[in-house]
Amino acid sequence: MSAFLQPGFWVFVLALAGIYGIFALGLQIQYGVGGIMNFGHVGMMAVSGYTIAVLVIKYQWSFWWAALLGVTLAALLGALLGLTTLRLSGDYFAIASIAFAEITRYWILNTDSVTGGTQGTLAIPNPLGFGGYTDQPDRILYWISDRLYPVFGDEASRDMSMIFIVWPFLFLFIWLSSRLQQTSWARVLRATREDDDVARSLGKNVFRFRLQALVIGAVFGGIAGVFWALQFALLAPEDFLRIVTFYGWMILILAGATRVKGLLVAAIFFGFLYGATRFLEFWPLSLLSSPERAYLRVFLIGLVIVLLMIKRPQGLFGKREEMVLE
Amino acid sequence: MSDLIQYLFNGLVVGSIFAIAAVGISLLYSVLRLVNFAAGDFLTLGAFITYFLSVTMELNFFLAVFISMLAGMGISWFLELVLWRNLRRNKAGTLALFLVATGVALMLRPIIQYFFGTETRKFNIDILKTYEFFGARIAHTQLLVLIFASASIITIALFISKARIGKDMRAYANNPGLAAVSGINVDRVVLATWLISGALGSLAGVFLGLVQGQFNNAMGESLLLSFFAAVVLGTIGDAYGALVGGFLLGLFTELSQLSIFFGGVPSNYKPVVAFTVLVLVLLFKPEGIFGYRARKV
Repeated sequence: MSAFLQPGFWVFVLALAGIYGIFALGLQIQYGVGGIMNFGHVGMMAVSGYTIAVLVIKYQWSFWWAALLGVTLAALLGALLGLTTLRLSGDYFAIASIAFAEITRYWILNTDSVTGGTQGTLAIPNPLGFGGYTDQPDRILYWISDRLYPVFGDEASRDMSMIFIVWPFLFLFIWLSSRLQQTSWARVLRATREDDDVARSLGKNVFRFRLQALVIGAVFGGIAGVFWALQFALLAPEDFLRIVTFYGWMILILAGATRVKGLLVAAIFFGFLYGATRFLEFWPLSLLSSPERAYLRVFLIGLVIVLLMIKRPQGLFGKREEMVLE
Repeated sequence: MSDLIQYLFNGLVVGSIFAIAAVGISLLYSVLRLVNFAAGDFLTLGAFITYFLSVTMELNFFLAVFISMLAGMGISWFLELVLWRNLRRNKAGTLALFLVATGVALMLRPIIQYFFGTETRKFNIDILKTYEFFGARIAHTQLLVLIFASASIITIALFISKARIGKDMRAYANNPGLAAVSGINVDRVVLATWLISGALGSLAGVFLGLVQGQFNNAMGESLLLSFFAAVVLGTIGDAYGALVGGFLLGLFTELSQLSIFFGGVPSNYKPVVAFTVLVLVLLFKPEGIFGYRARKV
């Protein structure tokens, strides 16, 4: 029970919730507005995270430029995915998007000389002999935790500093996306979600609107990847398995696909589920080894998704009348 | 030359397994419009149940396979009763079906891990015995799989074309409304589809475990997209197409390793070959080799 009461646990939960909140926000724009079922969202996270690690470690880029390029590449991957397969109907696109993300992961896994392969970013060959990439942002994180020390004492940590960086961005993005959803752009997209042909008959280029939604979502996926890379300071191919996309989907359907504010609660719930299966040390969790806990996490996430879809497909905060999971 | 024969043979063997896995997925899609993301884990489950019965419990191997197929059918039946039937009644859409199938996959995996562990397993069948055939080395297990898989494929094809319930399935897939008013029992058709896909999943899992020589709990999941590639290649929803697509995909992935193709694809990129086939088919011929461009794509 002790870990449950420790502030450090909740700090981790909140930091993680912020990162996955941004991740899910990308899906929310793609699906909640555009009706696009992207099941390869994790690919965007992988691309931006690995871009940073490779450029900083192998080529000594500045973290900031690498992050900028990482998000740009994530957006480009989104555009590539869209340009090639977004004309397909929903179920075909979903399968294609998984394939894109998996191809990305296999490339990372098997290109040891660039990405470090199975051993992760620690194994990226580099002239300095040290595989870290967070030196520059760490200076900011420690500056923040120094300022937090007088208030929180020994609880001030790198994780807590992460909250102070990630959550303002999350709020900013939520605000931006709710503004975005009131625009005529979003109204057209919502119309295409209900009926392609109506929107098309009004002279709207449905494909272009959808592509824009996909790329905007991919940018959020990329930004989540930057924060993810910063939070864990180490990347490995198995961090970007297919299931990570479904972390995002779980948050999204828990919140209700059209509810921006539900997203915060859902993201914290996810962070708790993730953190609890990782750190908590009370019975019956204490009986499980750490790989068993990882499996428990997978099981619980599967269970939440199934129960939601059966019992409350509109999400905890959604309204049944405007349910989009038709 | 011996390389060519070797890869052709490997391709046929793997292809026959892909075909069996793919036909289950394709049938489910044609009847339920469901893309079964849990299909891979059903394979793993089948292999592990067979392993448990034949190695741990020392049962006859064929009996073990048979029971594992029954178990696959039982679990599919159970899920139909508690999940899929309700979802159909609620008129659940594509996303809901996708997510529930994924949720089932996410739950199955830890259950398999809980009961059978994460260790690598192998069946107690001699995997080292090989035959020479025009310079190619053909494993005893490969031959076994090819024979039994071909027999299964012929049985499936006959079942779908000749058996009453097979005809009902095709009728329902073509036009659900018309099938329902002409007296076809819809629940029975759906249940039959689940039972077939459950049995085939277990069977394909055992074959896969035999051919790989050893397997762990990630076996089926890691090939899921390859099965989808076979399904899409053979026209999604077309059972015969899935059989052909499975063989073609097996041959593609194995022959891609021949050195005449850009020096040969390294074997750890084999799944990527399948994913690339999947993306290319979706790009240039999303209706598959047997489809016509009637559906909106």
